[in-house]
Amino acid sequence: MSQLIDPFLNNEFMQRALLAGVLVSVSCALVGTYVVLRGLAFIGDALAHGVLPGVAGAMIIGAPVMVGAAVGAVAMIAGVGFITAKSRLSNDSAIGLLFIGLLALGVVLVSSSDRLTGDLDAILFGEFLGVSTNDLVVQAVAAMVVAAVCGLAARPFLVLCFDPDMAQVMGYPARRYHRLMLVLVAGTVVVSFQAVGSLLVFGMLLAPAGTAALVTRRIGSMMLLATLIGIVSTYVGLLASYHLDWAAGASVVLSSITIFFVVLVSKSLISTTSRRSVARDV
Amino acid sequence: MRIITILPVRRLVPWISVIVIGAVGLSACGGNTDSENADSPTVVVSTAVLGSIVREVVGDAATVEVLMPNGVDPHGWEASAKDIEALSTADFVVINGLHLEPSLDEAVDEARSNGVIVFDASDHVNVIVNASETDDDHSDGDPHIWTDASAMADVALALGEALDAAGIGTGDRASVTYERLLTLDNELQKLVDVLDDSRRRLVTGHESLAYLARRYGFDLVGTVVPGLSSASEVSAGELAALKDVIATEGVDVIFSEVGTPTQVTEAIADETGADVVELDTHLLPPDGSYETFMTELVSAIVSALSS
Repeated sequence: MSQLIDPFLNNEFMQRALLAGVLVSVSCALVGTYVVLRGLAFIGDALAHGVLPGVAGAMIIGAPVMVGAAVGAVAMIAGVGFITAKSRLSNDSAIGLLFIGLLALGVVLVSSSDRLTGDLDAILFGEFLGVSTNDLVVQAVAAMVVAAVCGLAARPFLVLCFDPDMAQVMGYPARRYHRLMLVLVAGTVVVSFQAVGSLLVFGMLLAPAGTAALVTRRIGSMMLLATLIGIVSTYVGLLASYHLDWAAGASVVLSSITIFFVVLVSKSLISTTSRRSVARDV
Repeated sequence: MRIITILPVRRLVPWISVIVIGAVGLSACGGNTDSENADSPTVVVSTAVLGSIVREVVGDAATVEVLMPNGVDPHGWEASAKDIEALSTADFVVINGLHLEPSLDEAVDEARSNGVIVFDASDHVNVIVNASETDDDHSDGDPHIWTDASAMADVALALGEALDAAGIGTGDRASVTYERLLTLDNELQKLVDVLDDSRRRLVTGHESLAYLARRYGFDLVGTVVPGLSSASEVSAGELAALKDVIATEGVDVIFSEVGTPTQVTEAIADETGADVVELDTHLLPPDGSYETFMTELVSAIVSALSS
């Protein structure tokens, strides 16, 4: 029993990492649910990696890292809009172009700067075990803002997810709410990456919400379940990192993905057996 | 052939001319640099610290070019196309070896097979092989050889012979450098001798000071990122173990360096009450001299440990 609790009781860095994981889980579950339902995974991934040149640029000129990340995210969203408006390229081609372009720009910036090199890993994988009290405050505020926006825009977001045309009919400007959704994704990435790395942010955005989507179809319960799955993944991942000496951020992502597959396989087993017993075709 | 008829050639003409004019313009700009020192042989060196010693040995017998920017973390550095070109057209190449320069490994092999003489500094050093590093890039041994001045003295001597054999005459500069480095080695030892034995315990960013520890008598008791490479990631278990080491050994300084995860280091320092002191293990001082580099490095360690 003590093996499950003591690592957290004895080490402040474990407590802070756990708390950071909980906060990231909350905002990622809320935003991730929309990402999954609305099929925004690719832009989410692109945002998570596209912030790199902004972060590197901010480090070079000594500006706050989060400002740089925000600039990177805005450039990403604006760029995708520009390409799709000015060319016949599809949305995902536009995202792909900018994603890889920004990533490459980030690598060029980092490798041409004298003092930045080791930080590329820190940006991509974060320093989950080095989360500071400041980071926690920022994440707590972000989680509250994300929750407030999701609450206020709950209805248009819902319609946007299931029937974008209907949104227009109902008087919700679909484009504007789509943008707002992207801004939420970007905001979540920007406030979370510094502590937990862009790899982990994206994992937490997708895996818990994806798992919840397998189990329930109601948005509210999806968000709740995704939050719980995120928290469990953080706890299990940190324990694995402690006892098995695995890299912390990657362990948390790995446990959330594992939960996804466990749920997926058990669900398909259950549905196969129940289908057989009812003997009904789909 | 048919492709040509399908392509809207006319519309592409302006684009093509832009590209061609641009390319011609660029090559005109860059054309002069190659012929500048056509008669002087070129010696290309991978790292700045190594470059400092190579410059002393080579003198004006050749043009010395250092590929990595000063202070860069070699594990994270990527060679540019220009670097690879410099390497393949060099008369003589000096590398640290032991996979310190992973992004040059292939280009070095290629240059070697094309007849370029490659001097691997680690061939002339008593290499420290860490038993725990059997499965990654550094299984051949610890590449951080430059933190031991006596080892670099041996390297300077061997480098002089190799350059002479390659037709780049170094005169007595290699033996002069050798003597100077041994004097430096002596002075560094004197700096360290001031410290009590009980204070000579190092906790570092990654395992980069093993040669310094072996030569001048320090104990390496722990690292923030275990492993020789700054590219490894931290686990919670290793971090908790480091915390215990710092507490039980009574260590009060954590030495960080380029590539050390700063926030994790700060977190551990906060929890243990230790101070974080940053060391420039890859950065030459402004005067570009290895002597100043080592003196500052060792003085920084000694003063942090004695306060």
